[in-house]
Amino acid sequence: MQNSIVAVKNLTKAFNNFIALNNITFNIKSGDFFGLIGPNGAGKSTLLKILYNLVIPTSGSVYIKGLNLKYDYKKIKYNLGIVPQDDNLDEDLNVFENMIIYSMYFGIPRKESMRRSDELLNFFNLTEKKYSKAANLSGGLRRRLMIARALINNPTLIMLDEPTAGLDPEYRQNIWNKLQLLNKNGVTVLMSTHYMEEAERLFKNMIILNHGNIVLSGGISDITLNKKSLEEIFLDIAKK
Amino acid sequence: MKFIKKIKDINSNLSLRSFTVFYRNFMVWLRYYKPGIIGDVLEPLLYLAALGFGIGKFIHRIDGISYVEYIVPGIIASSSMYAAAFESTFGAYTRMVTNGIYEAILLTPVGIEDIVLGEIFWGTAKAFMSGIAVLMVGIIFGWVISPLALFIPIIILLNGILFSSLSLLITSFSPSYDFFSYYFTIAISTMFLFSGVFYPVSSLPYFVKYFVYLMPLYYTAHIMRLLDEGKLYPVIFVYFIIIILFILLFFYSSVFFIRKRVIK
Repeated sequence: MQNSIVAVKNLTKAFNNFIALNNITFNIKSGDFFGLIGPNGAGKSTLLKILYNLVIPTSGSVYIKGLNLKYDYKKIKYNLGIVPQDDNLDEDLNVFENMIIYSMYFGIPRKESMRRSDELLNFFNLTEKKYSKAANLSGGLRRRLMIARALINNPTLIMLDEPTAGLDPEYRQNIWNKLQLLNKNGVTVLMSTHYMEEAERLFKNMIILNHGNIVLSGGISDITLNKKSLEEIFLDIAKK
Repeated sequence: MKFIKKIKDINSNLSLRSFTVFYRNFMVWLRYYKPGIIGDVLEPLLYLAALGFGIGKFIHRIDGISYVEYIVPGIIASSSMYAAAFESTFGAYTRMVTNGIYEAILLTPVGIEDIVLGEIFWGTAKAFMSGIAVLMVGIIFGWVISPLALFIPIIILLNGILFSSLSLLITSFSPSYDFFSYYFTIAISTMFLFSGVFYPVSSLPYFVKYFVYLMPLYYTAHIMRLLDEGKLYPVIFVYFIIIILFILLFFYSSVFFIRKRVIK
């Protein structure tokens, strides 16, 4: 647990009689690019939503940067960047205003938030769209803005729930490059996906979930044992 | 004890971040303020003109004052009620469910308590704009009787807080926009028609009056009328306490149920 930025212990979530997560335990080391893989309904989104406090676990504990999520979620969120699966941009505001409003929620002073917004929009090649309404952006641009927005508070840990789902290969590649660059610069990344190509390219460590249980965990070589491809393993698991 | 702990938890989580929620709503409102102003400001003025001049021709005096003078405080109370109720139902539902704004905000250090408080501030601001517009017209046309009416803005604020809180509570249960028809027909319209906005409650049948005492609008409208007529009666203090109790009940309930709805 030492050196862990995220420590999940015996986490269970039940929705009435349905067990979405069943007593799962794992740690994420600082600086890791950590993946959550699993077929639809495996529990990936539920797990992420617990980690960013939109779902309350039935039992178990979550520590992020040594702080207990149950009691210190506000403190934790100052260091967290979150990109949920569904777009929740402020459709009525333009790209720049979306960044500024979001930075206000973190209490970032106006001048600083303007500087950071410009920097991030530039990093994600969104400067040209700075004054476009969020509602008028294409799917790929919206995802990039969601990620840029999540970085406004200079987080040390960023969580992304299927950030490239439904994007064309060019946009997906672009987002991969940005995330790898962030990770190289010291940001710990926790990301879910069901694209195996994405997992193989990005993740240093991962867990594979199925029916709310961790069925495999470790690095690519630990999981594949250099015998089967990740895709074959995933398909085997999905059949069960 | 569990109940008191819940209230303590809510209090400890309230912060100045609620103003960022208010500011966000204000920024969006600036985009569309023109149609919004027509609904919040012009509509109550139309009521005032139509009823004051129209029905006022037939009803010469109520409680010793002209009919238009009589309905000014009632229209102030009802217009601010409507403005708060619309904003905290249709507006809040859009932000909470349709646009996912609450979820986006909850990904930051702003908590559900701040969201609810920010929403109430915003609903109150809309209510204030609406109520003040009617008061100003009343002052300009000489329909406001006493200088004590200068305290009416305080009651408009309380009215805004009260109806924003109540409306957010309703929103927390609402499965769709259509659900608000129940609220507006059964609660809001009933209060508008029976809380003493257009006529003294004393004229209602005995058994109906009991229901009127359950209506929050009755208390705010009544205080506004007493202030407008320069009657500084002790009942104002009693009604003030009742309004505060309504506010506390609706505020804490709305935080509790909105949390339940948004955080699974």
